[in-house]
Amino acid sequence: MQLNHKKAPINIKAALTIATSALLGTLPVIANAADDSTTAAKAQQESSWDFESAFLYYSESDRVSAAEAVINAQKTFENEEVLNLKLTIDSLTGASATGAAAQPNVQTFTRPSGKGSYQTQANETPLDDTFKDTRVQLNAQWTQPLAEDYTGSAGVHISKEYDYLSLGVNGNLAYDFNNKNSTFSVGLSYFQDRFEPEGGIPLAFASMPLAYDNEYDEYDEYDDEDGEDQTVNSAGKAAFNATRRTDSDDKTTADIMLSFTQVINRRMITQFNYSYSKVDGYLNDPFKMLSLVNSKGIAQDYLYENRPDSRVKQSVFAQTKYHFEQNVIDISYRYMWDDWAIDSHTIDSRLRIPLSRNSYIEPHFRLYQQSAAEFYQPFLAQSNSIPKFASADYRIGEMTAYTLGLKYGMKLSDGNDLSFRLEYYRQDPKNSGHQAPGALAEVDLYESVDAIIAQVSYSF
Amino acid sequence: MKKKPVRQVEITATDDGHCLSFHAMASPCEVLVVSKNNKLALTLGKLVADEVWRIEDKYSRYQASSVCSAINNSGGQALAIDQETYLLLNFAETCYQLSNGVFDITSGVLRQVWQFDGSDNIPHDTEVQKSLENIGWHKIAFDEQQIIMPDNMALDFGGIGKEYAVDRAMIIANEFTQLPLLVNLGGDLAANKPRKTNVPWQVGIEHPGFIERKPMVVSLLKGALATSGDAKRFLFKDNVRYSHILNAKTGWPVVQAPRSITVVAPQCIQAGILATLALMQGPQAEKFLTEQEIKFWAIR
Repeated sequence: MQLNHKKAPINIKAALTIATSALLGTLPVIANAADDSTTAAKAQQESSWDFESAFLYYSESDRVSAAEAVINAQKTFENEEVLNLKLTIDSLTGASATGAAAQPNVQTFTRPSGKGSYQTQANETPLDDTFKDTRVQLNAQWTQPLAEDYTGSAGVHISKEYDYLSLGVNGNLAYDFNNKNSTFSVGLSYFQDRFEPEGGIPLAFASMPLAYDNEYDEYDEYDDEDGEDQTVNSAGKAAFNATRRTDSDDKTTADIMLSFTQVINRRMITQFNYSYSKVDGYLNDPFKMLSLVNSKGIAQDYLYENRPDSRVKQSVFAQTKYHFEQNVIDISYRYMWDDWAIDSHTIDSRLRIPLSRNSYIEPHFRLYQQSAAEFYQPFLAQSNSIPKFASADYRIGEMTAYTLGLKYGMKLSDGNDLSFRLEYYRQDPKNSGHQAPGALAEVDLYESVDAIIAQVSYSF
Repeated sequence: MKKKPVRQVEITATDDGHCLSFHAMASPCEVLVVSKNNKLALTLGKLVADEVWRIEDKYSRYQASSVCSAINNSGGQALAIDQETYLLLNFAETCYQLSNGVFDITSGVLRQVWQFDGSDNIPHDTEVQKSLENIGWHKIAFDEQQIIMPDNMALDFGGIGKEYAVDRAMIIANEFTQLPLLVNLGGDLAANKPRKTNVPWQVGIEHPGFIERKPMVVSLLKGALATSGDAKRFLFKDNVRYSHILNAKTGWPVVQAPRSITVVAPQCIQAGILATLALMQGPQAEKFLTEQEIKFWAIR
């Protein structure tokens, strides 16, 4: 009638602790109880900050690769005020498409700085391989209840790269109603960006100048005694500078976003967003150009691109999450349109499948389709007059893209979360009806870009 | 039949927060949270109540649509089970092993012969022996996918269900907020952290049936409390007091057990099992807990 603990001194307490952890999926913890008399027993220190960290690696085949580290810290204060700080550091290296068209012959391009040149082999898409940048970004956001059912939030953003500075502020007001099952929010944000590219900002449709300080140049010695960048090749520098408008330029972005979230039932939640974004200022990419081709499709010159100095973007977004008995599905759709005549559709879906109480896999599928900007063209033809605006940047041309990915997440025995994500991303630029003369018909003007994304996340 | 209580959560303000009360598992239940935000408190209360009601609906043997009833009516056929049920069965298995078969969630059929109504109505041993034929955890086969239970046997999650609900409710609550809070389901309770830095929760433990006794007040910084024992549910014959705690191996009540034991543990389900296992030690109950270095309060 009694337990057998005398002859077999099993530690029942320890055995139960393990069994309880298995049942609840928790980590074993210590309870603190104090008698009426001894209230001064050790109190558990409040874990004040929650951290999330992630490391992401992105690599396009033969092109850009990026490494990104993110650390996010969040603290909740007594009256449900939340402070969120996020630091992002990324480093970008590799080659990116310049906009120039592939040719049946070798092409020589001046580096953006004007100091040196590089060559692109026949039939290859010209890529500028001088891409190298490190970006440090800091976001701070403060959120707190303002009044019954009202939550306010305000934040600042600063992002600095070698040649780029972005400063931003944002504010958001959320109103809960219908028993907190519905939330309406309105958010405003404003960004001020300054671009100071290496080599300055080129004039619209200026011809790519010759390199003036080629490393193979015989005139590469500076006259130090003079204290100035005096080289024998100063005429080359003057020619280069003649293609430059200024050293730096600005753009501003003002966004407004309206959002409505509705809890349908215990298993389902939906969200609808509308956003309006107005960008003004310098919207060109100073490193992008267009090939000016003759009637045989052979490049005669390379001209810097020119885009309008304002853009108005609008988008609508709908998202639904549904929690099945086991799985969670998350589907969203976005429609974006702007006054550059770009419109895009994005469908994004994730399905979280628990493998056990402490782990899951999550397949991810994303499909993206966009139409070309009205001034997009893969090259300029000599037979036509130069248009007011033109860009051969494939990112504003017609394209479809898709992402296929898989994430594996697990809860570690200490209660922290660890996850791994691996994705394949493919961009397929399309011809939006441009006739390719002569040699251009033989080369790939719309080269696909393959990329791999790998991410490790850890929250503690 | 008693009318089923209405499922609703009521909110009242306390000195430093709110109390959310509801009724579940035949007990008054409450959530105390240190927050002046009544919307937040009410949302928390509803989350907790929904979880407790969910577990009640799923594992109550009184509800025809419960998983427990489905198993009990499976007639010896294999029945598919989900992960949660599997984990609960696993836990019950551990308790069975640790108690050498004294704690057995198939022992509920003994209630057909034992009615603890304060009378001297002791059943005949032949009746008890007949019931024992339909008891025995070892006769049950289960894995992550299914359970096969012989006909005429029945599971009863009553010994662990409420404590499990406390722990699950605490998990749900902690996902929602990190504010200090306490979940109390009819005396089985847990707190996630001290009410304030170094300030414990003051918990009145009402011992069921002890009408004359004032609730004992204990301080709890964090962790869980569970109480086993019921002063009203006993039989008394020839100067022997038979407690309602039955030994699943013999089919007979444990004698000379404390009337009630309250145990402290990190999780409520642990506390509950330790209290029950201790009661099963009869006169050795306190010694058992002391040897395991477990904090407890016993009433004899």
